[in-house]
Amino acid sequence: MELTHRFTVPTGVEETWAHFEDIASVAECFPGAAVTSVEGDTFTGTVKVKLGPIALVYNGSGTFVEKDEEAHRFLVDAKGKDKRGNGTAGAKVMLTMNDNSGSTDVEVLTDLAITGKPAQFGRGVMQDVSDKLLGQFVSCLEARLTGPVTSDAEPAVGMTPEPPVAATAAVSTSPDGALATPPPTAPAPTRPVAAAPPADKPRPEDDSLDLGATVLPILARAYWKPVAGVVGVLALLIWWFAARD
Amino acid sequence: MIPTQFDYVAPTSIQDALAALAEHGDDAKIIAGGQSLLPVLRMRLNAPEMVIHLGKIDSLRAARDDGDAIVIGAMTTHHDVLHDPLVNEHAALIAKAVEHLADAQIRHRGTFGGALAHADPAGDLGAPTLALGAEFVIAGSGGTRTVTAEDYFVDLFETAIGEDEILTEIRVPKHTGWGVHYEKFVRVVHQWPIVAVAAAVKSNGSTISEAKIGLTNMGNTPVRARGTEAGLAGAELTEDGVRAACDRAAEGTNPPSDLNGDADYRRHLATVITRRAVLKAAHV
Repeated sequence: MELTHRFTVPTGVEETWAHFEDIASVAECFPGAAVTSVEGDTFTGTVKVKLGPIALVYNGSGTFVEKDEEAHRFLVDAKGKDKRGNGTAGAKVMLTMNDNSGSTDVEVLTDLAITGKPAQFGRGVMQDVSDKLLGQFVSCLEARLTGPVTSDAEPAVGMTPEPPVAATAAVSTSPDGALATPPPTAPAPTRPVAAAPPADKPRPEDDSLDLGATVLPILARAYWKPVAGVVGVLALLIWWFAARD
Repeated sequence: MIPTQFDYVAPTSIQDALAALAEHGDDAKIIAGGQSLLPVLRMRLNAPEMVIHLGKIDSLRAARDDGDAIVIGAMTTHHDVLHDPLVNEHAALIAKAVEHLADAQIRHRGTFGGALAHADPAGDLGAPTLALGAEFVIAGSGGTRTVTAEDYFVDLFETAIGEDEILTEIRVPKHTGWGVHYEKFVRVVHQWPIVAVAAAVKSNGSTISEAKIGLTNMGNTPVRARGTEAGLAGAELTEDGVRAACDRAAEGTNPPSDLNGDADYRRHLATVITRRAVLKAAHV
């Protein structure tokens, strides 16, 4: 089953790509996602999905199988299993970014393979639910990408200034785009946008404060990859719809 | 499958239920009639540690007259709503919608508030409560608050009820003497509607003076067909007289596509069913 989602973010393609690369916590924009470990190009994590009466906890792992800097494209292969045995889901997610006169068109192609109960569902409801969650993801992403532009001079509100600088730098300095090992588990605020090329030095403190002021604190972990896993998991929700009577 | 193990408590007051909910937080799940929750538990799509049953709170049952509104307790079963004289006299659209809600067994166990808290987009109670401008009374630790139907239905399975709150009553403004009908399009009679329309019409027998139309399963929440309502005001009460207004029924809706039909099919269906519902409501 293939699902396609497209959205546009109002920043240039390089900047958007760098954001995906640099702010690994993009995946935090998916509600309920948490990465438990990252090793090389592989990550493991859990996704907690709540929708009405359903609450699923889905354990999975994913591998980042292709990343093309030139074409601004990456491919993630993720697999997961519901904690209580409601089947498995696999997802191959291809994300491509294209320049659209200053803004960036992002296309997410998801190929879902599902076993167990959720496989009894057709495309309709699945698209519906994945649209809903992807919609949240996109608004969150947009908020992060556009936030700093409008709030350059805003004073910091409700964040601790020092740790985030260090934490973000640890992630963003990874030179080849490979994911840096995440800092220890303590949550740390992360900047919403990294300037285009990964910064090799910590930014001036007031800069990071400005940026930090625009978002809620999130975990500064290197796991933009589980985007795929999350999409795959959506399928598990669908079983509910067969049970409604 | 058998549900995972859970603890169970059946408090006898709303305060006790709220206290239990506060104590167990995210691990708790409220059960009303259980007609939607139990299948979910049995399929292990949820595994709460504590299930809080509202069935022993007597104050949540039955309907009462409250001046300009009928107040229906959240734990009133569909069967009791259907046969309640107050509901039938002053909010007959609700009774019409309940009449063919699922099957008789479910109507005897399932509850009015439970179904509305569940907020299934294909559920039969959203459209009539929205159309009649019902208000939802929600109890929390800080007291009760009242939410309009427009604000109550937030999204797919999502309502204005907070994690630590309980829906206690639904206030339905009286529509005494209005012509009503709930037209439901289903493949199997007790199934979820593919599209359904709740219509309340006020007329003098030949001309419509006011109409209220709610749509089921035409989006993630129940939807009010405002364009049709506006068009029906002053319309002649004939099939041709209401046609133009009813053709606008799907305006502004975002219906799902699934194995029962795609979005365009539903949009078309909504116009046809709205016309039927309006005419039947007005006894034409």
